[in-house]
Amino acid sequence: MSGVLAIVLPVAILIGGAFIIYVLARLFNLNNRVEAILTVVVLAIALMALVNNYHQIEELATNPDAVFGDFSPGGIVLIPSALGIFIMIISIIVSIMITIYSGEYLMRDSRYLNYYPLILLTQAGLMGMFLSNNLFNLLLLTELSTVAASSLIAFRFNQHIAIRAGFKYLIMNSLGTMMMLLGIYFLYRSTGDVHLFHILSAPDNLTRIAAGCFLLGFSLKAGVFPLHTWVPDVYGHAPSAIGGLLAGVFSKSMLFILPVICLRLGMTYEELGTYLMVFACFNMLVGSVRMLGQNLLRRFLSFSSIAQTGYLMFGLGIGFYYNLDEAFSAGLFLFMVIAIMKCLGFLASGIYQFYFRTQDITQLQGVGHRMPLVALCFSVALAGLAGIPLLAGFTGKWIIFSVALMTGDLFAIICLAIFLLTTLISLGGYLPLLVRQYQKPNEGEQVDTDRQYPERVSGWLVAPIVILAMLVILIGVFPGPWVSLIDYVVGWMVI
Amino acid sequence: MEYYEMLLPGITVVPIIGVVVLLIWRKANKKQAAIIGILSESVALVIPLVLLSVLRRNESIVFSLPWIPNMGVSFRLSLNWLSLTFLMTEVIVTLVAMVYSLGEKTGEKHSNYYYALLLLFSLGMSGTTLSDDVFLFYIFWELMLVASVLLILVWGHGEIRFKVALKYFIFTHLGSLMVLVCLITMYVNFGTANMTEWMAQVSSLPVNMQVFMIIFFLIGFSVKMAIFPLHIWLPDAHTVAPMPVTIILAAAMLSMGTYGILRFPFTFFTLERLQPFAIWMMLAGLVSEVYGALMALAEKDIKRIIAFSSVSQMGYILFGLGTLTIRGMQGAIMHVVYHAIIKGLLFMVVGILIAITNERDIQKISGLGFKFPALCISAAIGVLGISGMPPLGIFNSEWMIFAGGFDSGVSIALTVMTLIGSLLTVIYALRFFGSIFFGKRLPEDLPKKAPLALVIPTMAVTIFLIIQGLIPGPMLTWAMKGLAGIFGGIF
Repeated sequence: MSGVLAIVLPVAILIGGAFIIYVLARLFNLNNRVEAILTVVVLAIALMALVNNYHQIEELATNPDAVFGDFSPGGIVLIPSALGIFIMIISIIVSIMITIYSGEYLMRDSRYLNYYPLILLTQAGLMGMFLSNNLFNLLLLTELSTVAASSLIAFRFNQHIAIRAGFKYLIMNSLGTMMMLLGIYFLYRSTGDVHLFHILSAPDNLTRIAAGCFLLGFSLKAGVFPLHTWVPDVYGHAPSAIGGLLAGVFSKSMLFILPVICLRLGMTYEELGTYLMVFACFNMLVGSVRMLGQNLLRRFLSFSSIAQTGYLMFGLGIGFYYNLDEAFSAGLFLFMVIAIMKCLGFLASGIYQFYFRTQDITQLQGVGHRMPLVALCFSVALAGLAGIPLLAGFTGKWIIFSVALMTGDLFAIICLAIFLLTTLISLGGYLPLLVRQYQKPNEGEQVDTDRQYPERVSGWLVAPIVILAMLVILIGVFPGPWVSLIDYVVGWMVI
Repeated sequence: MEYYEMLLPGITVVPIIGVVVLLIWRKANKKQAAIIGILSESVALVIPLVLLSVLRRNESIVFSLPWIPNMGVSFRLSLNWLSLTFLMTEVIVTLVAMVYSLGEKTGEKHSNYYYALLLLFSLGMSGTTLSDDVFLFYIFWELMLVASVLLILVWGHGEIRFKVALKYFIFTHLGSLMVLVCLITMYVNFGTANMTEWMAQVSSLPVNMQVFMIIFFLIGFSVKMAIFPLHIWLPDAHTVAPMPVTIILAAAMLSMGTYGILRFPFTFFTLERLQPFAIWMMLAGLVSEVYGALMALAEKDIKRIIAFSSVSQMGYILFGLGTLTIRGMQGAIMHVVYHAIIKGLLFMVVGILIAITNERDIQKISGLGFKFPALCISAAIGVLGISGMPPLGIFNSEWMIFAGGFDSGVSIALTVMTLIGSLLTVIYALRFFGSIFFGKRLPEDLPKKAPLALVIPTMAVTIFLIIQGLIPGPMLTWAMKGLAGIFGGIF
């Protein structure tokens, strides 16, 4: 093992932190909040290591020696990428918010001991996926994050529905991993190697089949139509905090790993772009139509997540099809704002669930008068996702629009028309939900307030959503610095 | 930077300060909230008046601050004669509506939010007229929509308001999105969001792209103008909204569509490109005029009658714009102003009628003329005004619009039909007036007087209307100067 240690440091911190926290928690029977704070510390250290890598992005991205690993045959080789560093920074920030939130959210659960290490392992797995250059390692790391994520989804194992959701996630995602394994088989048969940087020359049919397998596998994990059916069931029943993490960051980041691998395996830019754009339209349509009339908040957010996967694919698809750097920036920007807004939405709806034990909006009608701050933050999330100006979602929409119109091509314009249509349809989903928080409750459908109405919403729950809501507004009003940040990252991106 | 350039952002900043004060001062009662609202709006009115003298010397006043440099977006406001006309109309209408609110039940609960939203609504409109940067323009354009939707949602009448607000939002948003597509197309092609810089570059766009953009712009802004068949959001929104909001919606917000057409397709594209659309615009104007008038005749709800009359009046305006002649457009701009005054007046009369009779069905209100003579006179002036009776304002503007129609040489027949169609306006206006103020008297249990806060603005607007009609000179000059930049400044 040799190379630049800084590359592997964040992963090592996360994995090491997971074990240390678990051991400490077991030994000293730590309180939930203490464990949450420890996890935040570990995440913060990992974040610092990542930010340090970000500052050396130029060095890491251009220097061919900036790798870490075992260079003997079959060894693990980790290569950093600007894209991975950026996505992981967002992912870790979101995880920090979720961990703080869990400090209160898990107070009624007895199994919190495993929860925080699992979050850390999910993150470690995701980061490893971005670093790994060896497809077999990639597979293992995918498995690691999938298994960790599915145990998080089924975290409330005494609830029948949670077990079902976790099981569904595990089965579906294992199917994705199986596809990837099949891809590796074809690849190995054709080239006798599974290292990405060895397989650059002349792809044959077998490597192309392998590319197709990886495409399917990652599409399944990202929830691309028609492999999206697991999304609402899983995120709708997972704990809100986990839903925010997985729907906001985890499954969307698969869309960024997908091209890196498929292009190496011989898929052309045009093929990939066409695939992404065509299926983006399906995703947008399915997501925005199905979200109409959903009464369960998390289920609603899951459907809107399918639509947003579509928006992201649209941005990336344009990037590949027309080879447009601006489109990658647009995609990354959208990824960032969706991660923040989606996480905000899930966390805020989780607060309702926590106090009122329901996520049915018909029962929550009028909740805005009882929890004004939470309702305001949730409204910011919904309005942001709907693309109301001066919120982050609008800037994202503006940038994606500009990119699509920049191409001036009919294909992009047709997809844009579908995009427009779906934004309009989705308004019919977001706005009623937003309004019903403030509407007078219907007779007999109100939740029993005497018992469940909290004196005061816990600061552990409120702080993350307020920070996220402020970020949504900040990015909306001053998108400039964020755009340059992303342009900078895209400048060093190698796909 | 000159002093007047520093004054310009005040039109947007002062209302924002007012909003902040109102949001902080949560215990303010309605009067206190109204004072803050009216004060900040008055400042927003005084600033353009102060700038008037500067504007006589310069062509336009520009204020610019960098905002998002890497996207080519800046906080750039510009005041010229065209925006001035629309800005003044809108601010005055808001002020009147704010005073009028005092005599109404609307906004007694959460008064601070109510006035804050009225300020934001007005801010959205003044920002729309002032902004010289598309990003900013669209933000203000949507702010106008969001604020009005919230006003309808919270203070509207009946449970139906939720559905109506949603319909209003989604429908007008459709128009906004069409406009947005055009705006971003230009933004992408020219690499800047600064609209003044666009002027020189528009001709470099391919012709079919220009045509496509003209179509999108016209349809998009027609939604806001509520031109048939894109009007379907209007009657419900106007009926359900509380009266002061209805006044702003009808008298000020509809004209933003007109401003949009003048500001974008008419400013950026040449007469030659627009000429093929003249006949379609005139036709749409005619259809809207007749349809609105017929619906106003068929309606029983007095608020809806006046709401449909807006559809009809917007038809005149689109017809005037569609003539693509200087007279027609001048007439259209004047019509915007006069329509604002008269529509405001008529809605105020309707508000008072509803307040004193507690009834909205035209068949159940009659014979009020002798009991409320002052109201009767105001209504009479409003009704005569909207029918185009000289010397009241609309006579002047309709004269110009029809003159434009004959000038345009597109189709004399269309102009004649529009002229004859205006007879329908007279019919519904007189029916409205006659059946309410004459006929069988209602039982005597009506209140003796209407609230003063309702009567004062109504009277003020009535007098203002008469003055406007008698001395149309200044208005004519303003409208004329406002057209300086149209079609690349050929006039």
